[in-house]
Amino acid sequence: MPNTPRITRRELLRGAALVPVAGALAACATPAAKPSASASAAPAATSAANPFGVAETRPLEIWIFDGGFGTEYATKIHEPLFKQKYPKAEIKHNATKEITKVLQPRFAGGNPPDVIDNSGANAMDFGALAQDGQLQDLTPLLDAPSWDDPAVKVRDTIDQSVIDIGTYDGAFSVLGYVNYIYGVWYSQKAFRDNGWEVPKTWDAFLKLCDAIKKSGTMAPFTYAGKFPQYLYEPLLTTAAKIGGGEVLVHIDNLEDGAWTSEPMRTAAAAWAEVGAKYLMEGTAGLDHVQTQTAQNKYKVAMLPSGSWLENEQKTTTPADFEYGMFPIPDMGSSDKLPYGTLHTQPGENFIVPSKGGNPQGGMEYLRAMLSKKAAGDFSELVRTVSVVKGAGEGRALSPGAASASKAFADAGSNTVYYRWQSWYAQLKDEAVAATGELMTGGLTPEKYLERLQKKADEIKNDSSIKKFKR
Amino acid sequence: MTAFHRYRRGLFITAFLAAPVTLYLVYVISPYLQAFYIAMTDWRGVTATPSFVGLDNFGRLLGDGVFWKAVTHNAALLVLLPLVTIVIALFFAFLLNVGGGQGGQGVTGVRGSKVYRVVFFFPQVLAVAVVAVLFQQVFRPDGSGMLNGPLMALGLGPVGFLSDPGVAFWSVLGVMVWQAVGFYVVLFSAGLASIPREMFEAAQIDGAGRVSLFFRVTLPLLWDTVQVAWVYLGILALDVFAIVWVMTDQHGGPDWSTTVMAAEIYRNAFQYFRFGYASALGVVMFFFTVGFAILSLRFSRRERIEY
Amino acid sequence: MTTTTTWTAANSRRLARRERRRRLGPLGVLTHVALLVWTVLVVVPILWTFLASVKSEDEIFGDAWSLPATPHWDNFARAWEQAHIGQYMLNSAIVVAFGTFGTMLVGSMAAYVLARYPFRGNRAIYLLFVSGLAFPVYLALTPLFFVVQNMGNVPLVGPFIGLNTHAGLVLVYIAYSLPFTVFFLSAFFRTLPTAVGEAAMVDGASHTRVFFQIMLPMARPGIVSITIFNVLGQWNQYQLPLVLLQERDKWVLTQGIADISTAAGYDQDWSALFAALTLAILPMLVVYTVFQRQIQSGLTSGALK
Repeated sequence: MPNTPRITRRELLRGAALVPVAGALAACATPAAKPSASASAAPAATSAANPFGVAETRPLEIWIFDGGFGTEYATKIHEPLFKQKYPKAEIKHNATKEITKVLQPRFAGGNPPDVIDNSGANAMDFGALAQDGQLQDLTPLLDAPSWDDPAVKVRDTIDQSVIDIGTYDGAFSVLGYVNYIYGVWYSQKAFRDNGWEVPKTWDAFLKLCDAIKKSGTMAPFTYAGKFPQYLYEPLLTTAAKIGGGEVLVHIDNLEDGAWTSEPMRTAAAAWAEVGAKYLMEGTAGLDHVQTQTAQNKYKVAMLPSGSWLENEQKTTTPADFEYGMFPIPDMGSSDKLPYGTLHTQPGENFIVPSKGGNPQGGMEYLRAMLSKKAAGDFSELVRTVSVVKGAGEGRALSPGAASASKAFADAGSNTVYYRWQSWYAQLKDEAVAATGELMTGGLTPEKYLERLQKKADEIKNDSSIKKFKR
Repeated sequence: MTAFHRYRRGLFITAFLAAPVTLYLVYVISPYLQAFYIAMTDWRGVTATPSFVGLDNFGRLLGDGVFWKAVTHNAALLVLLPLVTIVIALFFAFLLNVGGGQGGQGVTGVRGSKVYRVVFFFPQVLAVAVVAVLFQQVFRPDGSGMLNGPLMALGLGPVGFLSDPGVAFWSVLGVMVWQAVGFYVVLFSAGLASIPREMFEAAQIDGAGRVSLFFRVTLPLLWDTVQVAWVYLGILALDVFAIVWVMTDQHGGPDWSTTVMAAEIYRNAFQYFRFGYASALGVVMFFFTVGFAILSLRFSRRERIEY
Repeated sequence: MTTTTTWTAANSRRLARRERRRRLGPLGVLTHVALLVWTVLVVVPILWTFLASVKSEDEIFGDAWSLPATPHWDNFARAWEQAHIGQYMLNSAIVVAFGTFGTMLVGSMAAYVLARYPFRGNRAIYLLFVSGLAFPVYLALTPLFFVVQNMGNVPLVGPFIGLNTHAGLVLVYIAYSLPFTVFFLSAFFRTLPTAVGEAAMVDGASHTRVFFQIMLPMARPGIVSITIFNVLGQWNQYQLPLVLLQERDKWVLTQGIADISTAAGYDQDWSALFAALTLAILPMLVVYTVFQRQIQSGLTSGALK
C-alpha cells in the first residue's frame, strides 16, 4: 500500500486523458547513449611473454560465482598467479551468488567487468550475451603459447569439447574450466552397510529403490525440487543413452519433434515413475542444499548431481560418508550407447566481456588459470577435475572426485552433452517449470514432452531470438 | 498588482515549480514515454541499436502463454484480494468499534480494541520483501516449517504451500491479505468514527441486533470508504511483484502458477535481455491499470448517504 | 450534588458492565474468539521468526516448534557483520531520510504553488503530476535504468547521481513520490484559510517567507501525515533499488534480506537469516508501536483524502 502508486478519485480520468497527447512526444526519446568503455581498452605492445598486450598498470575486475567451489580458488590460486606477473595491476575481486542480478545491468550499462565466472542457477544467458556482441572472442587465447611452455599452444592443453562447447557464432568465447561429470550420487558407506549394490540396469535401479523404501531406513531418491533442472539432466542423459547423442543434438538444434522422440518418451516415463513412487517426502519444495544435506544425514539414498557436489557439501558431510557416483543404468539391450555413458560438460564458465575496461588482462588471467600449477592446485582445493589435461596427475583425490574420475575414464568417448539451456533461456525456464510438474504427477510424460516441444517450436518461430546450431 | 509584484509572483512560481517539475519530467514522464517507443523495437541491450519493428512485440505477446497466465493471476487477485480483505477488515472494524454492544456510554467497541488495532497493523509496517522471506520460512515444506510442523504432527501434512502449483497461488493471496487487513481495519475504523453515534443508538433502540446493525447502518454509511479501499487493493493486485518474486519458487512458479505481469516484465527485461518485448508487456499492463482506474471511477458514482 | 453525580456515574458504569456481560452471550464470546484468532495469525509468524533467530542450525531444521536449548545470540553477530545487515540498514536510513526530506520539500513547494497561485498552465501541471498515480512503475523500469545511467554521464554531478549511487536513488524516490504528495498536499493547502498569508503579504513579507513561515506550519498535520506515508513507502521499496543499485555495499535493507534468503541456500546459514529478519522487523515494530497513533492516522487520512 504505501509502496504502490495510488489512484485517487476522479482526477485520474482526466489525468489519463493526457497520456495519448504526451505519447506524441515519445518518438523523440530514444534509448540510452552508449558510453564507450573501450577508450581505455586499447592493448599495449605484445610480446611472446605478453601475447595479448596487457597494460601493466591497468586494473582487472574479476567476478566469481560464489557457489559450490567457493571463491578461495580465485583469491588463493589464480589471482596471486596473475599478480605475480603483473604486480602493478590492481585486482578487484568480487563474488556473488546472483550473477545475473548483479552483472546483467552492468552489461546493459556498457561497463562490464573484465573476467566473469558466469555460473550457477542465476547465471546470465550466454545466447543473449553472444547475440549482443558482449563476449570477447577468445581465439587469440587458444593460439597463444601456454603459460607453462612457450612451445605448446593453449589450444593443445585442453579438451576439444571445451572448445566446441564454448563456441558461439563461430567464435570461441566461453571457457569452461571444470569438467563437470554428472551422475547419481550416493554414500558408499550407506550402500555398504545396508548391502545395497550399484544398479547397472533400470530394473535393478527400480528394485533397489523398492528395497530401500521397504527397509524404512531412508527414502530412495530425491532431487532439488525447487530447481527441477537437477532432474531433467538425468532424464536427458537417459534419453541420450537410449537413442544416442543425436537425441540431444536435435533438441539443441530445435528440430521438429526433437522433444517428443521415442527415446525421450521412454526416459520421461521412466523418471515420472521415480517421481510417483520413490521420492523423499517434501522433495518438491526443497532446494539442492536441503536435499543434499538430507542425504548427508542418511535420510535419502540417492540424488542426481554433478562433480561439484562433494565440495559443496564438505561442511555437512560426515567424515566416513564416502561419496560415490554411478552412471545412468541401462534401459534395455537396444540402448545405442553402452553402460557407463556419461553426461560431461565443461562448467564454471569463464567469460571475458568484450566491452570491459581490460579485455587483454581478462584473457591473460584465463591463460594463467589454464597453467598446470593453477589447474592442479584448483583440483586439489575444490575436489574436482579441471579441463586442463593431466593437471590432476599425482594429486590426492577425495572419494567422490576419485569415483567421478574413474567413471569418466571408464566412459571413454561415450560422453554426451546438451547446450539448449544456455542458448535459450526461455526454453530452460519452461523445462524447469514442466519438469517439476512431471515429477509431482501434474503432467503425464506425453503432455510434458508436448509442452516442451511447443515451447521449442515457439522459440524456433520467434525471429527476435537468435538461433544456434551444433 | 504592480508590475513589480507580478514579476515577483511569477519568479516565485517558477522558482518553486522548477525542481519538482524537472525531477518529475526526467525521472517519471520521460521513462514512460520512452517505454512506448522501446516497445516497438527489438532492443536487447546497448550495443545492438534498437531497430523499429512496429507492433511485432504486441503480436508476439498475444501468443505468450506465460504472460497470459500472469494476466489471469492478476485478474484473479483483482477480484479476490479486495473481496477477502474488505470482508475481513469490515468484520473486524465493526467488532472493534461497534461490536461491543450497548454500554452506559452508548455504542462501544469490544474491550481491548485499541490493542487489537495496534497489533493488526503490524504487518503493514513491514517491508513486502521482508514479509516474503518470512513466509518462505513459515511455509517450509517439511516438519521444520511453522505450518507444516503442526500439520504433520496431526498427520495432515506436509502441504506444499509454495511447491504445489495448485496451492501456491492461494499462499500468495493469503500473505497479501495477511499484510493488508490491518490497514483496512484502521481505515474503516476511521470511517466508522466519523459516523455519528446516535445513528447506531437509534437503530439499537429500534431493536436492531449486531448483524442487522452491520448491514443496515454500518455498511451503507461506510460505502464510500469501501470503494476507496477497493480501488487501492485493486491497484495492489495489479502491481504485485515483490511477494511473488521473492517468496515463490522459480520467481513465479512452480510451473508459472503464481507469476504476475510485473514479474514477467522484470524477467523479460533483466533476465532475457529483451527490453523491447518487456516494454510491450509494460504497455499492456499500463492499459490494464488505466482501464481499471477508469472503470472503478465509473462504478463509484453511487449516491452518497448524507448525514 | 457532587456525591450524587459520583454515585450516578459509578452506578451507571456498574450497570453498563452488567449490561455488557448480559449481552456478551455466545456472540460476544465469538467476537473475542475471532479477534484473538487474527491476533494469533498476525503475531505468531513474527514471534516464530524471533524464536528461530536464536536457534542453532540443527534446531531450525528440527521440530518447528521446539525451543532452543541455549539461545544462540551469535546468529545476530553473523547477520550484522557477515550479512551486512547493519550496513544495509544504514543505507536504507540514509536514502529514506534524504528521499523523504526532498520529497516533502519540493512536493510541498509544488503543491502550494499549484493550490494557491492561479496561472496559465497550472491545471495542466497539476494533472501531469496526478496522472502519475495511475502509471504502473514497471512500464518505466527499463527506460528509467538508462535515464539514471545517463545521468551518470552528466558533467560534474554525474558520478554522484548515476547508477549505484544513493543520491541517484534519492532523486528517483523523490520523483516517484511526487504524484501522491502533490495531490494530497495541494488538497490540503486549499483548505487552509488565506487571511493570515494575505495579511503577512500586506506587511511586506515575500512569497517565499509566507510559505515557509506561515503556510508550512499551518499545514503541519497534512505534512506529518504524508511524511509518514513516504517514509514507510520508501523504506519498503524493493523494485527500484533492485534495478538501480547493483553494488552490494550500496544495497538497501530489502535487497539485503531478499539476498540472504537466496544465499542461505549456498551458505547453509539459516539461523543468520532468521536473525537478519528479526533485525529488520523489530525496529520497525518498536518505532511503530511508539508512534502508532500518528502513523495510523497519518496513513488513513492520507488514504481517505
